[in-house]
Amino acid sequence: SEMSKDMMPGPYPRTPEERAAAAKKYNMRVEDYQPYPDDGLGYGDYPMLPNKSQYERDPWYQWDQPDMRHNWGEPMHWDFDMYIRNRADTSPTVVPWHIMSKHFLIFLSSMLILFGLGEIYPSYRPVGPKQYPFNDLYLEKGGDPNKEPPAVIHYEI
Amino acid sequence: MDLALILNLSMLLTLATLSTPIIFPLLSDNLKNTPTTIVNTVKTSFLISLVPMMIHIHLGTESLISSWEWKFITNFKIPISLKMDFYSLTFFPIALFVSWSILQFATWYMASDPHITKFFTFLLLFLIAMLILIVANNLFILFIGWEGVGIMSFLLISWWHGRAEANTAALQAVLYNRIGDVGLILCMAWLAYTTNSWEIHQLPSPTQSPTLPLLGLILAATGKSAQFGLHPWLPAAMEGPTPVSALLHSSTMVVAGIFLLIRTHPLFNNNQTALTLCLCLGALSTMFAATCALTQNDIKKIIAFSTSSQLGLMMVTIGLNLPQLAFLHISTHAFFKAMLFLCSGSIIHNLNGEQDIRKMGGLQKMLPTTTSCLTIGNLALMGTPFLAGFYSKDQIIESLNTSYLNTWALTLTLLATSFTAVYTIRMTVLVQTGFPRIPPLTPMNENNPAVISPITRLALGSITAGFLITSYIPPAKTPPMTMPLSIKITALVVTALGIVIALDIAKMAQAFTTPKQNQLRTFSLSLGYFNPLTHRLAATNLLSWGQNTASHLVDLSWYKLLGPEGLANLQLMAAKNSTTLHSGLIKAYLGSFALSIIIILLSLH
Repeated sequence: SEMSKDMMPGPYPRTPEERAAAAKKYNMRVEDYQPYPDDGLGYGDYPMLPNKSQYERDPWYQWDQPDMRHNWGEPMHWDFDMYIRNRADTSPTVVPWHIMSKHFLIFLSSMLILFGLGEIYPSYRPVGPKQYPFNDLYLEKGGDPNKEPPAVIHYEI
Repeated sequence: MDLALILNLSMLLTLATLSTPIIFPLLSDNLKNTPTTIVNTVKTSFLISLVPMMIHIHLGTESLISSWEWKFITNFKIPISLKMDFYSLTFFPIALFVSWSILQFATWYMASDPHITKFFTFLLLFLIAMLILIVANNLFILFIGWEGVGIMSFLLISWWHGRAEANTAALQAVLYNRIGDVGLILCMAWLAYTTNSWEIHQLPSPTQSPTLPLLGLILAATGKSAQFGLHPWLPAAMEGPTPVSALLHSSTMVVAGIFLLIRTHPLFNNNQTALTLCLCLGALSTMFAATCALTQNDIKKIIAFSTSSQLGLMMVTIGLNLPQLAFLHISTHAFFKAMLFLCSGSIIHNLNGEQDIRKMGGLQKMLPTTTSCLTIGNLALMGTPFLAGFYSKDQIIESLNTSYLNTWALTLTLLATSFTAVYTIRMTVLVQTGFPRIPPLTPMNENNPAVISPITRLALGSITAGFLITSYIPPAKTPPMTMPLSIKITALVVTALGIVIALDIAKMAQAFTTPKQNQLRTFSLSLGYFNPLTHRLAATNLLSWGQNTASHLVDLSWYKLLGPEGLANLQLMAAKNSTTLHSGLIKAYLGSFALSIIIILLSLH
């Protein structure tokens, strides 16, 4: 059968009686019940559950729905399809987030800097400048045949 | 004798033979598939595909088939064109040989699976898509094969779809490949716009290629071939069954990205920026993957990171403008990497599902053939002289040492070569030697020919493939032939150094003389923290922003602010601002009346 009108979500609860009725409707304790703030985004009286993904729930407990790690009647998060085990994971990491990002950025930046250095100082087999015969091709380059060509020495002793 | 006709016919016959297990069950109810028929089909295709390869090797015949054109618009037509050149004619027998061995192995590995025929059909579909990609002359046909292998990869990784990790891994594979596809489509769009053709033989090779399409191609290769930046899907893809890892994620699918770069290398020839980018990206990938492989404990993950590292090496070869050498490495790598996966699959099944090398040991005496072939594969991977890997890997390192290139890329590649030796020896020592750390009552045997013949066949290939290919195929560019002795033996020295370090570390680990955890080891073990940083940030932000935009923001903006509530707000603002003027005093009204009269008179002037 369809859900009756009093089981559907309603407007933001303003009085303590309305809060208690909404908490009972969502199958939660009045102390736990915390609606989204009323800033015009249209959440109504839907409870604001902590943003924790399904990864953080006990994998060994006998849930009613094991694939979603969810019991019958438990209130579902507004973004529950984001927190299933195929999507976002909010479980605590072994290494704290700031250390992870610091180490990764240090690695990435040092790699990029070293690649830049490698571009500035590339590696190549030893080469020498090209040496031309006939006094560095003096006549071919348009030198005066009557003048004495400058002496070209390609070595040092 | 019209050899081109025989070439074309045999290639088409290969493809047709492979499609028969897909088409025949649709035609009649009596023609059902079994795993054995599919194995025999692939074996037949392999034997048929040897014919065009022989023709090409001995006589140099190449061919280009171009049939039925899709008249897309008036001046842009997409023909179905297949290119039988050196690359496709040589890769067909290699891919089919490796696939035949893997499928034969899978008859044993997946024997207890109720849907084994579906599994084999998926593998066959994947093989057909891969061969379409190889033989395509047209970027459109290549894209069909590209997407085909991506989809089959998704279906095969999530084969055990009841497992949430497998589904997540398959999603990862598809999403990362999709990001790479953006690059491929960018390049196709640019080619269609400038050259009005998607044919490979009509690719422009100008004196200065523009960088944008090349960036797209590099992005496509990064996605498909798991270079650094789009790499996490490859280790995660080990959630699939071992035959899937052997076929897709070691020999065939992941080389599709490199193959694309080989096919389009006329565009790359003159653009030094793109080549340097390939070089640096490949060097970074090979180094990062080798670093991550050092501390892994799952045997399949070690081999996956080894694949990733070799793919980086292939990218480095492309960056050196040596596509034929990259293709040689693809061919030799297929043999020993597939064999490594098959050996690990045999070990895993015999140990009843145990994949952690810390819980294996002393298997050399218990599974002699498998572990001997594992050793041969590891030696080939390290580039032991005159095994298969030596012919490609040593040539790559020689070319690296004698070219004008980025020093850091050179250093990284040499470091990664030594790391390859380190993690390979670590795996060998922990799996095969030492005291057995397995549960005592483990009935293991390798008496099944379905296990032994594929592995020994691939071992034979690992030993001889490099020698055979380099004997029969002349190199396209002159390889470096003169270099000092120190440069010539660099690869050997670096590998030997790695072996020595690995043996030393293994001895230290057995005696527990060093601390177990430090920052570097954690960095390597957690794969550089890349996975949690990118996946969590991207997933949570995209999904929550998307949900907020689609539901709340749309409601708030369209139905409220631009409609009734927005009008009400404007009215309210106007009313509040003009209330102060309605004070009820006659003087104020007379003043505003006079002000309006003066303004009208002044404006009429």
